[in-house]
Amino acid sequence: MKINHLLKKIVLTTSLLLSGVAIASDWTPSGPITLKIGFGPGGATDVIGRVIASAIETNNGWDVIVENKPGGGGVAMLSGLARDKADGTKIGLGVTMATLMNIATRGDSLPFNLDSFDYIGTVVTSPLAVIARADAPFNTFAEFIEQSKANGGYLVGFDGGPQKLIINAINADTGADIVTVSHKSGSEQIQSLLGGQIQAGFGAGAHIEYLKSGDLKMLAVATNVRQPYSPETSSLIEQGFNYSLNPYFYLTAPKGLPENVKAALSAALEEALKSEAVIELIENTMKTEAQNLGPAGTEAELKNSLAMMTKLVADSK
Amino acid sequence: MTDFSVILAGFSDALTLTNMLYVIAGVIVGQFVGAMPGIGPVMTMAIAVPFTFVLNPLPAIGLLIGINKGGLVGGAIPAILINTPGTPDAAATAIDGHPLSKKGKPLKALKMALYSSVTGDTFSDIVLITVAAPLAVIALKMGPVEVFALMVFAFSLISGLIGASVTRGIIATALGLLAATVGLDPEHSTPRFLFGFYDLYDGFPIAAVAIGTLAFAEIIRRLISMTGEIRPAVNFPKDQPREDKRISFKEYWSCKFVLLRGALIGTGIGAVPGMGSTAAAFMSYASTKQSSAQPEKFGKGDIRGIAATESANSSVAGADMMPLLTLGLPGSASSAMLIGAFLIQGIQPGPLLFESQGQLVYGLFGAMLMANLCNFIIGLFGLRIWAKLITAPESLIFSAAMVFCVAGVYLATGGIFGVYIMLIFALIGLVMTALNYPVVVFIIAFFLAPRFELALGQSAAILRGDPLRLVNHPVALVLFGMSVFAVYWLNIRKKNNKPKQPKESKSEPEFNENLQPEEA
Repeated sequence: MKINHLLKKIVLTTSLLLSGVAIASDWTPSGPITLKIGFGPGGATDVIGRVIASAIETNNGWDVIVENKPGGGGVAMLSGLARDKADGTKIGLGVTMATLMNIATRGDSLPFNLDSFDYIGTVVTSPLAVIARADAPFNTFAEFIEQSKANGGYLVGFDGGPQKLIINAINADTGADIVTVSHKSGSEQIQSLLGGQIQAGFGAGAHIEYLKSGDLKMLAVATNVRQPYSPETSSLIEQGFNYSLNPYFYLTAPKGLPENVKAALSAALEEALKSEAVIELIENTMKTEAQNLGPAGTEAELKNSLAMMTKLVADSK
Repeated sequence: MTDFSVILAGFSDALTLTNMLYVIAGVIVGQFVGAMPGIGPVMTMAIAVPFTFVLNPLPAIGLLIGINKGGLVGGAIPAILINTPGTPDAAATAIDGHPLSKKGKPLKALKMALYSSVTGDTFSDIVLITVAAPLAVIALKMGPVEVFALMVFAFSLISGLIGASVTRGIIATALGLLAATVGLDPEHSTPRFLFGFYDLYDGFPIAAVAIGTLAFAEIIRRLISMTGEIRPAVNFPKDQPREDKRISFKEYWSCKFVLLRGALIGTGIGAVPGMGSTAAAFMSYASTKQSSAQPEKFGKGDIRGIAATESANSSVAGADMMPLLTLGLPGSASSAMLIGAFLIQGIQPGPLLFESQGQLVYGLFGAMLMANLCNFIIGLFGLRIWAKLITAPESLIFSAAMVFCVAGVYLATGGIFGVYIMLIFALIGLVMTALNYPVVVFIIAFFLAPRFELALGQSAAILRGDPLRLVNHPVALVLFGMSVFAVYWLNIRKKNNKPKQPKESKSEPEFNENLQPEEA
């Protein structure tokens, strides 16, 4: 009886161990993997995607082909990916914000939603912050709101729908009367700030040099946690505005990915993020370090962010 | 102020054999892809950017600068030889370049283009190197309201100067703006005119529209007009007298004011992000023609026409670097690629760049000047090859060009969808030309439209919807006033010129301003 029990245990452990090994290494793609990037060639997302692809090629010996599918901040890429076969040979690299914004505002007209995909992991989150000129008479976002009220509404730049939503929601909450001014990028907002055309704006990394040069200062970080490059700056949430934006770069695949494939891809991503080239590139382009939430964490992050975005859409009306 | 020793160290960094080889490679590739209709330097740079990650900063950027500058020269080659601009900014060069080539002097036209291009490029590089910082400060004062007014002025000039009548020019501008409304709006990110095509989220792909209207339409026209007999694309006598194959210094020098005006216009336009070299080339061409004593000579192979356009479109490239280096703002698609390359090298354009990376910046300037020299020398050799190549049967040349267009658009837009868009716009180009509407005005409006719409929205927010607040923006007011005056005045001028035209057109063919079909 005892021996029987022991045998059972041994068999069980060995099979578990074996299956564990199988998850980590036994899957090999049936052909080359296509990595679809939701942005055009030559940009930061494109280069990060390509360097990760080449790291995976070196580490795992798989062929990874990179394809650019620009359009709508990733919507065009995800629309195609949702229809692809879930065998691990088609994966996509996107950025959360624009996609979530689209699902939150016009989800019924999109050919996909968050459940159309399986999630492999995240790469990095961009260090989004609210910034102003260094000589501005306010130092925190709360002070900015007070003065905006007193001065009949300040101008704030934005370069994406979610940033505008946050400002609108804060307007609705506080009556700050802020007017939003559309821009194409963080760099353009910096230009408008320095030229005195707007009073505050959003920076996603390009502003860090200007903090060092003493031209700009940060009023708050827009992510839900503080940033390593400026640990003394508190977040919007800490300052009493219950909103945050966490623009994650993430890897995804069509829904229905077998568990072992998902695990293998996730392990490959984790391994790639440890490569020298990827670490250096992320430091160079994003001024921060890689951050992988893993398959479950990514899915949870996207669902949370979508809830936040839906709340923002409702609050900003 | 940067220390002189840093400047010297930077320049001597640039002058290494490795850098030189990368710059030369870039220029050769750039001239080649520039000369291929459909495959442009922007796409080539996009492909090259990820590879530059493994290089050191200076060779990496030298390579990309080489491609960009090579493309400036290359784009003019097919514009002159087969009336099909290799890059959109060379569209204006075709106006006088192609007629000169048809007169049997393709080498003369090509050389004038090369000299003008290198002259304009070097001029703006020197402006960049010497006065980038103060100019950047002025550019900073150009807020959205001023940029909007500047665009209105550019539209009124271009629609007034190019084409048969001001009305047709304005209609073409409006059509260009309309075509650009497809995609997400800049203010609320609302999708417009998608009809269920998610590929249109970012609007019609620029590459597909430009190649369709400018290159593909012309190729179709030439293929249609083929008679079946085998003949070379360009005919010129073997034993040509020397002066028909070269540009004498006297000829070059006679264009000095034209070149200078082109370079100044190009540098000014380039310093404002988002205006672009195509608009600069046409503005320079139009103002040269307006101020000339014999405007009727233009459009029939006047070297001044080539000088005006090539000096202007090439001088945008150097000036483009001002907002790029000082503010991190790309003024064009190719400088957006350069920013990408800067970032992956860990170089952050911005206020600290000259202080923290002074040596690298001056190395970059050295590489730019080196690229100009390489462009000139390689261009001189290359032009002969292109001029030889063009004696091949036209059926071969144009069908090859067709394949390049399709392949180029497929690559640039990421699929067959872009090719369909290109075909649609080729058709639009053919119809517009047939009805005598200026296609180039349409395409310039399309290029500038996203910026225009953005500036409109920004201005509305900054003025809080109250036009009376414009009094706080005197520069914008002056530009608006000039726009109204330009349309009014140009309209009168065009009308005054009209009665003469029927007489002239009997003796001489009509101006080839809109890349019109020609009787071969």
